[in-house]
Amino acid sequence: MSSTGIVYLDYAATTPVDPRVVDVMTPLFGAEGDFGNPSSGHVAGRRAMAHVERAAGQLAALLGCRESELVWTSGATESDNLAIAGAARYRAHRGRHLITMPTEHKAVSDTFHALEKQGFDVSWLYPDASGVLDPADLGAAIRPDTQLVSIMHVNNETGVIQDIAALGAVCRERDVLFHVDAAQSVGKLPLDLTALPVDLLSTTAHKVYGPKGVGALYVADRPGCHVEPLIFGGGQQGGRRPGTLAVPLIAGFGAAAAIAMAEMEANRAHLQSLNDRLWQAIRDLDGLVRNGAESHTFPGILNVSIEDVEGESLLLALEPLCVATGSACNSKSQEPSSVLRALGCSDLLAQSAIRFSFGHPTSVAEVDLAAARYRAAVGRLRGIAGGLAA
Amino acid sequence: MTSDPYSERVRALFAAPDHAGDLENPAARVQINDQGVRLALAAVMDGDIITGLRFRAWGCPHLLAAAEAFCRAYEGRPASALAAFGAAEIMRTLPVPREKLGRILVLEDAVRSLGQSARVSPDAGKDTD
Repeated sequence: MSSTGIVYLDYAATTPVDPRVVDVMTPLFGAEGDFGNPSSGHVAGRRAMAHVERAAGQLAALLGCRESELVWTSGATESDNLAIAGAARYRAHRGRHLITMPTEHKAVSDTFHALEKQGFDVSWLYPDASGVLDPADLGAAIRPDTQLVSIMHVNNETGVIQDIAALGAVCRERDVLFHVDAAQSVGKLPLDLTALPVDLLSTTAHKVYGPKGVGALYVADRPGCHVEPLIFGGGQQGGRRPGTLAVPLIAGFGAAAAIAMAEMEANRAHLQSLNDRLWQAIRDLDGLVRNGAESHTFPGILNVSIEDVEGESLLLALEPLCVATGSACNSKSQEPSSVLRALGCSDLLAQSAIRFSFGHPTSVAEVDLAAARYRAAVGRLRGIAGGLAA
Repeated sequence: MTSDPYSERVRALFAAPDHAGDLENPAARVQINDQGVRLALAAVMDGDIITGLRFRAWGCPHLLAAAEAFCRAYEGRPASALAAFGAAEIMRTLPVPREKLGRILVLEDAVRSLGQSARVSPDAGKDTD
């Protein structure tokens, strides 16, 4: 338990900034630091630009891409919007059919909904009960006028990992752009964009112990792959995303990327041990369901539902655990998770879903406390309901 | 913290639902499943006086807290008092956010039904030795 009295198990929502990242960022704010505008040609500007270039190198190394293929944004939501709306508009003269899944983050699905209102035709592909999309289903959905497919790498609610290599290959074969929302996987799972058939990839710093407010979009340097800008202004970043670059945030993102790259394997092993430990400690509870196939999930996330327990009361009974009932971006909603419903989960079961997500600061003691708290909360709420919920 | 959806009172009632449970041979018992919640109330009487109240609930923290608050407030009072129970007071005093009014109205319906049942059979379940 931290000094704040809370047990934080919501690392899929956001992570604390690594102190080593803070050390990189702090000198870039004040008058004594490299606070210049990186677009300025003078020495202060060039010094600031050097931090941006260094960060681009660090992130490019993590992703396995060229620095020139990165566009800095304010976060994954903007990256998703720019990738999807920007690419759809760029290729609209070739066709207006787009493909995605209902299990995507709202930053993706809401962008597609907006495009539908603008006359684009969107196909929504459903995964199997384990949450995985069959590449053959994607192939069958692609039409001659299909221009863009967007499938996330690691699902933010369930941790389910999509086979982006196979899905991307289907797209590449049919000359369809492939966008991947990788907000949950960059820095946590190996990615080599030199080898992967991915055209556009969204990421963000704050999921990987970097600062909030900065993200990036990878745009592959290949024919036919381009995004039209969503905002207009100073012409920075080749006009794809104008606006003064947030140098301290970008430098922080770069530092976080470098740390993640160096420590990825050790962190993944730690997350797997925590995930296994929590699952083993609660799996015998009557009516417990694991959401997302164990064999295809990122170990940093464990999502479970349980019969006969009301989700909002469960969340309160779990305090001081900080966990999510669904996507952090819509956890105040009373609606059961659309992601879990797409996996075939009933509304009643979906509303009881709890997402535990771990980070490298998470301790075994915190996981043990979470398990004990979960078991106690379920028992207490079932005791209050008596036979009513059955 | 202003963004906390639960007041201190709601948290306290939710943490100590002393009246959650069942009663043996209640004089009146009602159950309602509506608005996405399930609620049961039971009462034992001594004449017209409610000597015991219990609830069962499957629902959000506000509903559970409201049910506990009702039970605490109405033990020892005459059954006729139940007719005056209103959701508005619970909404104001806990307080409960407006979007959950429907759930508190389920409690109001249950309480009024309980009152009617109790008045119809005030001696039901009473020891008749």
